Amino acid sequence: MSSIGTGYDLSVTTFSPDGRVFQIEYAAKAVDNSGTVIGIKCKDGIVMGVEKLVASKMMLAGSNRRIHSVHRHSGMAVAGLAADGRQIVARAKSEATSYERVYGEPIPVKELADRVASYVHLCTLYWWLRPFGCGVIIGGYDRDGPQLYMVEPSGIFMYFGTAIGKGRQAAKTEIEKLKLSELSCREGVIEVAKIIYGLHDEAKDKAFELEMSWVCEESNRQHQKVPDDLLEAAKAAAKAALEEMDAD
Amino acid sequence: MSKATVELPPKGGFNFDLCRRNDMLTKNGVHAPSFLKTGTTIVGLVFQDGVVLGADTRATEGPIVADKNCEKIHYMAPNIYCCGAGTAADTENVTDMISSQLLLHRYATGRESRVVTALTLLKTHLFGYQGHVSAALVLGGVDITGPHLHTIYPHGSTDTLPFATMGSGSLAAMAIFESKYREGLTFNLVYCAFVEIPQRDEGVKLVTEAICSGIFNDLGSGSNVDVCVITKGKVEYLRNHQKPNPRTYISSKGFSFLKGQTEVLSTKVTLLEKPQQEEGVDKMEE
Amino acid sequence: MDLNLDAPHSMGTTIIGVTYDGGVVLGADSRTSTGMYVANRASDKITQLTDNVYLCRSGSAADTQIISDYVRYFLDQHTIQLGQPATVKVAANLIRLLSYQNKNMLQAGMIVGGWDKYVGGQIYSVPLGGTILQQPFSIGGSGSSYLYGFMDQSWKEGMSKDEAEKLVVKAVSLAIARDGASGGVVRTVTINSEGVERKFYPGDSLPLWHEELASVNSLLDLLPEPMST
Repeated sequence: MSSIGTGYDLSVTTFSPDGRVFQIEYAAKAVDNSGTVIGIKCKDGIVMGVEKLVASKMMLAGSNRRIHSVHRHSGMAVAGLAADGRQIVARAKSEATSYERVYGEPIPVKELADRVASYVHLCTLYWWLRPFGCGVIIGGYDRDGPQLYMVEPSGIFMYFGTAIGKGRQAAKTEIEKLKLSELSCREGVIEVAKIIYGLHDEAKDKAFELEMSWVCEESNRQHQKVPDDLLEAAKAAAKAALEEMDAD
Repeated sequence: MSKATVELPPKGGFNFDLCRRNDMLTKNGVHAPSFLKTGTTIVGLVFQDGVVLGADTRATEGPIVADKNCEKIHYMAPNIYCCGAGTAADTENVTDMISSQLLLHRYATGRESRVVTALTLLKTHLFGYQGHVSAALVLGGVDITGPHLHTIYPHGSTDTLPFATMGSGSLAAMAIFESKYREGLTFNLVYCAFVEIPQRDEGVKLVTEAICSGIFNDLGSGSNVDVCVITKGKVEYLRNHQKPNPRTYISSKGFSFLKGQTEVLSTKVTLLEKPQQEEGVDKMEE
Repeated sequence: MDLNLDAPHSMGTTIIGVTYDGGVVLGADSRTSTGMYVANRASDKITQLTDNVYLCRSGSAADTQIISDYVRYFLDQHTIQLGQPATVKVAANLIRLLSYQNKNMLQAGMIVGGWDKYVGGQIYSVPLGGTILQQPFSIGGSGSSYLYGFMDQSWKEGMSKDEAEKLVVKAVSLAIARDGASGGVVRTVTINSEGVERKFYPGDSLPLWHEELASVNSLLDLLPEPMST
């Protein structure tokens, strides 16, 4: 942490002499410590999965959700500070509805991601604002097909598959092994579950809950939670794969 | 106890007494004074490489001719002019305002003004006032995209036409245009090839004829013909191009009177009283 | 005769939009009047909004012109923002939005027609109150009241481009014959995947209906050779 004590890391509006903005890097740190979030683009849609770390055993299963619907055709998965994420989701929802009110058709996913990125970026331009301590993956289906974007305080990118959070490196290597152009969403759900279960360290990490959603032909191009039976099947498959690995 | 019929003072809300009074006044023949309106004939036409604008020069105030030789072709930009009909104050001011906006726009862009720019500025202004700025305009000019002619109505609608007329004399003028205007304004191109800018002269002639038709057949129009010819890089403003109504019955000797023509009957001289210095007030000193 | 030249410029009009197999045909007459005076006998009531969307205007000329100016500007911005052409539905919805939000100040009945790669040819009508209706064909303006029965009978699903154009010209010329506020020429705009095609039918080329007299080319044929130089 060469930045500490230099005074260049106290504001988002201050550059360090070598051209870095430390506050944004610190914001990225907040994301890096959160549970892993994965998004992949399959041949017929998008699958998003979250390793939701459970702070307390008494917390109700299914509460404190990290995947949100933005409107009918797109959703958003949050890594990092959940409260900041909800702020972004609220803005995304209002952008989506205002677009539809003016233009009479659902917002294209790219336009949604651009507007969310502008909002996130806005918070890095003023000294009296704090950059968001979270990154979001936006998945949606519009007339140009399924699309996947990731928005962080540092920028926006379009992906076939991506991951953020604690286990992102391992997750990305696993995603690269998948043949995404041939994979259906039904198969994709199982793969994502396997990856998340695989990179979770039972001994070191807190307990977690798997949260998954999709937008695909099967869900009628609508953003929905993955059906319970499929989610259970995916969990079972993931656990089976783990045991198989352990046995080897 | 029976209900008391007490006249309570009104507690607010609207009061329409004055509307009834105004209705009564108009019924009895008292009208609010109206604005100076120019019963007018204004016209414009497009020819091969430019536009010709024309106007009469009569301004009226009800049945009275207020000005026998006014100017109705207004300057907008070096390459754009605009004829105005309707309320004189409105046409004068609206063209002035837009003209200065065009000047600022030229300073900002460093380019010659376009006719569509003037058109858009005028129409958005007039639309904003929903017809209360009563200016009916014929806008003409030549810009980088060629010659253009437009008409603008007080409510903000516009038309783009090869020939146009406006004002109370528009029907008379349109009759001339409809029967005599030809595309390209020339009947045999072969002949024209040997004559120096023949289309221009034809255009001016037709415009003059149209204005004269308004002058002679419309009560609101009269006096002289103003013409403005705009071509690429050149403007000819022909003020009083034709004077079909010269002053008649002028004494050949002129009107002058010899000294002492008026007889002095009596003379009385009253001297002014000398102003008195007020006492007890000090003079101002420095 | 009450000419009423001070009346606002309005378009007693016949406008029409028709879908066919592969695109749309829009049609309009060309008369613009102030009171009883024909202020423009060759006006263009079919305005371009984008490369692939056009608008038929009826009602107050000033109001519909200003609406189309605004919508053209919004659509240009939207096209740049998205990096791809606006759809017909977006154009129609913007018109609806302006018509509805300013309904107290406007007198505008419009028909939006166009083609986009997602849905193909579409016709939307946006009548006076600012509602929006997608229809296989739509008619508007004062002349439309003479056309309802005719259109219900003669519009058919899956017409060819030629049939649709003929239908539009026939409909507008029928309305011109019966409606005093419509007249002049017939203009059509055909929009499909290949682009846009404008056509122009002069008044003397239109079919004659029921004991109509053929037009002699107005004054121009009757008068002796004018304007000799």
